[in-house]
Amino acid sequence: MPKIEVNRDIFYSQVGKKLTPDELVDILECAKGELDEIDDASGVLKIELNDTNRPDLWSTMGLARQLACYRGEKRKAYGFFSTQAKQQKNEKKKIIVDKNLKNIRPFIAAFVATGPKIDDAHLIDLIQSQEKLCGNYGSKRKTIAMGVYRENIISYPIQYSAADPDKTMFVPLEFDRELSLREICEQHPKGIEFGLIVKDFPRYPFLTDANGEVLSFPPIINSAKLGAVKVGDEKLFVELTGTDIDTLLLACSVVACDLADAGYSIEPVTVVYPYDTPYGKEITTPFYFQKEIQLNIEDAIKLLGDVISVDEAAKAIERMGNPVRIDKNSIILAPPEFRNDFMHPVDIIEEIVMGKGLKAFTPVMPKDFTVGRLSPQEEFSRKAREIMTGLGFQEMIYNYLGSKKDFIEKMKIPGTDVIEILNPMTENYEIVRNSILPNLLMSESVSANAVYPHRIFESGKIARKDSTENYGSKTENHLAFLVAESEVGFNEASALVSGLFFYMGKEYTLAPLEDPRFIGGRSARIIFGNKEVGLMGEIHPEILEAWNIVMPCIAVEVNLDLIRG
Amino acid sequence: MDTASIISTLHPLEVKVLLSFGQNTLITSALLMDKLQYNIGQSNQAISWLEQKNILKEKSRRTVISYTLTGLGHDYRQKGTPEERIVSLIEKEKELSLPEIASKLGLENKDVGSAFGLLSKNGVLEMNEAKKAVIRDIAKLAVITPIKDLLEFCAQKESVVEDELPAGLVAAAKEHGKKRGAASGILKMSERDVVEYAFTNTYPATVAALKDSGLTGDEIGTLTPDIIRSGDWRKKGFRSYNINTAPVRVLLGRKSPYVDFLDKLKDQLTSLGFEEYDGPLVETEFWNSDALFMPQFHPARDIHDVYYIKEPTHAKEIDEPFLSNVASTHENGWKTGSRGWCYKFDRNFTKKLILRSQGTVLSAKALTTAKIPGKYFGVARCFRYDKVDATHLADFYQTEGIVLGDSVNLKTLLGLLKMFAEEVAGAKEVKYVPAYFPFTEPSVEVHIKHPILGWFELGGAGIFRPEVTKPLGIDVPVLAWGLGIDRMALMSLGLKDLRDLFSFDIEEVRLRRRS
Repeated sequence: MPKIEVNRDIFYSQVGKKLTPDELVDILECAKGELDEIDDASGVLKIELNDTNRPDLWSTMGLARQLACYRGEKRKAYGFFSTQAKQQKNEKKKIIVDKNLKNIRPFIAAFVATGPKIDDAHLIDLIQSQEKLCGNYGSKRKTIAMGVYRENIISYPIQYSAADPDKTMFVPLEFDRELSLREICEQHPKGIEFGLIVKDFPRYPFLTDANGEVLSFPPIINSAKLGAVKVGDEKLFVELTGTDIDTLLLACSVVACDLADAGYSIEPVTVVYPYDTPYGKEITTPFYFQKEIQLNIEDAIKLLGDVISVDEAAKAIERMGNPVRIDKNSIILAPPEFRNDFMHPVDIIEEIVMGKGLKAFTPVMPKDFTVGRLSPQEEFSRKAREIMTGLGFQEMIYNYLGSKKDFIEKMKIPGTDVIEILNPMTENYEIVRNSILPNLLMSESVSANAVYPHRIFESGKIARKDSTENYGSKTENHLAFLVAESEVGFNEASALVSGLFFYMGKEYTLAPLEDPRFIGGRSARIIFGNKEVGLMGEIHPEILEAWNIVMPCIAVEVNLDLIRG
Repeated sequence: MDTASIISTLHPLEVKVLLSFGQNTLITSALLMDKLQYNIGQSNQAISWLEQKNILKEKSRRTVISYTLTGLGHDYRQKGTPEERIVSLIEKEKELSLPEIASKLGLENKDVGSAFGLLSKNGVLEMNEAKKAVIRDIAKLAVITPIKDLLEFCAQKESVVEDELPAGLVAAAKEHGKKRGAASGILKMSERDVVEYAFTNTYPATVAALKDSGLTGDEIGTLTPDIIRSGDWRKKGFRSYNINTAPVRVLLGRKSPYVDFLDKLKDQLTSLGFEEYDGPLVETEFWNSDALFMPQFHPARDIHDVYYIKEPTHAKEIDEPFLSNVASTHENGWKTGSRGWCYKFDRNFTKKLILRSQGTVLSAKALTTAKIPGKYFGVARCFRYDKVDATHLADFYQTEGIVLGDSVNLKTLLGLLKMFAEEVAGAKEVKYVPAYFPFTEPSVEVHIKHPILGWFELGGAGIFRPEVTKPLGIDVPVLAWGLGIDRMALMSLGLKDLRDLFSFDIEEVRLRRRS
């Protein structure tokens, strides 16, 4: 969920009203936004935006645009967009793309913004848009990266080329000496952060102007010479590069609309490709690529559970800032230039909900009659748990993740069936438990101060490798219990197992067990219907010692799934 | 305390003391042991209780010294002291070296040495020119004999009080009695305080009241099968107990309060017509995300958000037709009416094994076999790649479910959330806020005003996108919901830290209660 900071004064002047905090909280619902904090001292509003498919809302201008429209302001028109049918070609300002980029970072979009001298607040907002668009929507610059330059020192046409990483040198921002592209990936902070995106390509994306001056090394870093925008600049060159053309074009449109709203006039730039793109070999950007989408009002009525007229629905959709037209029982929506999140007609239905407000819909209880029931596993587990509490045991509940040290080393087992996590965050959570016994022993080891005897149990899941399964592992419902007391032994374990099985209504037999966790000759396998369903016995002092336990313990673990039958 | 209530709390041991002795008798434990046949513990107990009730008061205290024969002392008494044995041996053998004496008598060399020292000092024995001990004057032996008398005297009783000793033995007793390290000597000396107690001025009233009450001290204490069988209880009264005595700790078998909380939640959901579903902890990318129409390139599906399984890394297969349906839906929308995510679906990545990160997996899987109309829920253990702290756990429970039916829609979704808010959370006020989830459209969050916690987000819900339901064979709308119950669980258990829900500490769990 992106969180943004907006300048309160600019924001409210764009929204068209100075909102009270309560009004702001309410109206933010139309953007799925939550007010996190108001910083009165700096005049900054901190807002969290929940819709990951609406990058147009992640800036002061974009968010204000949505709110203003919702409040009833007229939708803004943006005249600088080209479409496939009608390109506003710019013969003077072109970008020529190198054919070798096709499999590296094939697409680029750009425009020139001319307007008021950029001030602190707008510059901060522009940098924030860049971070959110590229970091969040652009998967950490993988699919979108953006650069802003001082336009008046650039000469056209601009070359977007694939450069030799070792022979190409320039001075990157924040440095005062030339580095090769590869050195930038290894030494520059941004190179270290984002270098992986290009590292394995034979050539790296590279942007230069007609005089051979370096603009940037996308998606890593701008040059120190052309790529440093400062407060007071009034003519900006904005370019975005990426791997997915629709994502890239949308990001370009979002930034262009934001700057237009801030009072800049937008001049398109024409990109010339040596290879085909879905929109031809020449694309003038900002470019409107979105397609119309149609909603049948009957589908809306069914999903909303409310009879609504086409006109009423269209009005709600328009209130959200979407141009629509009505065709009999259908509404046809042309997505705004800065949005591309209408994948299915249900996405239009949601615009109706948002436009009308959720309060317009009265809650109705679902009427269908259905039978409720617990899962068979839960039913059986409850039966076992009731017996255990009746036998005087305190129920425990544990985390399912643990360390190899606790679950393998201290238990002196080979651990071949233990499921390991490939990417553990810490060694405390590196495996999924294959038994509940280590959890019970852990409890005993930290509870020597609790009044004895200790009688504890847990009924829960374990998982273990099983190569016969589709997933290579199996999850099982187990019950395990432990008694720690100065005089406790196999007979007690045997009595408890006997009581447990009697009240579960199941017959069992015992067979000898050789297991390093238990004392030989004082432990057993529990057999039910010719299958081994559990283990029981006196915990071996070697194990107790590993857990720093000085109290004798007996323990039992059974697989409830096998006993339930 | 008034006399009546004092009487009611008197123990039979106290009653007998009061009824057996006159006001002017000085009470000591020895007296009670002698006259009432109390053991030392009972005597001390009776005196201490009476003193607490201000019926007895300490009058005097003196220290009494007593002597007890040690093992060595008994040994000497039976076999004679080393001195006597040495003298009688030499009388028989005439002359012997000290080592010869030691070996013949089975004594330690050093004991023989010190005995000979004593005997020669007193002129009984002497060493001749051949360095052998010989008799010098047998009559002088009498000087050392008091030990023999002392041993004889002290052997009469378990312990002998100094006053009882004949005058001639007192000095010897003092000389040989040892307070510490007595095992190497013949007598153990011990000092103990003898305290005399006198009845206070409450005695007459107490005894009078006691006599009136008819209590004899023979009242029944513990009721035994013998007493019931014999009918003795008809003849005797029952002794009153002090009902305010601190009770002993009881250890009982009980459910974990957190599991109990989850049980109640499941019971509520089943009572609302929901059927519980379950599933494995290890899942595939397919069911965890792909089937929920989350694109494979989605930022939330980064390596750092889920736990991957080390071995095996991939499932053998994904069930058809679901795999193909979902793959096409991602690529071009398939028959769902969607344009899809427009990318090449990775059929190998989708088989990757992970620890399930959201309970919605179970909802997706339930769709493949669900009844229509149907309501399902699961309380599923989920795993997240998160730093563990007071508000984040690496594994935790999520409560989720679905409602399928031709007649479900946004208004019934709101109705369902209202029902949860009222029935599960006990909320009076409910608020709905638009929300975003990748797999539902429209999506709603429900906020409730909890009687104690105030406004908070109870859960999220929405109508599954057709891109989720159609590929899994469902053509009716499906409501999907999830409830955040952790805050309510913590409150119910009086906890503040999520980690405490899964505490290892037995005492802590024993003492934890649900409100």
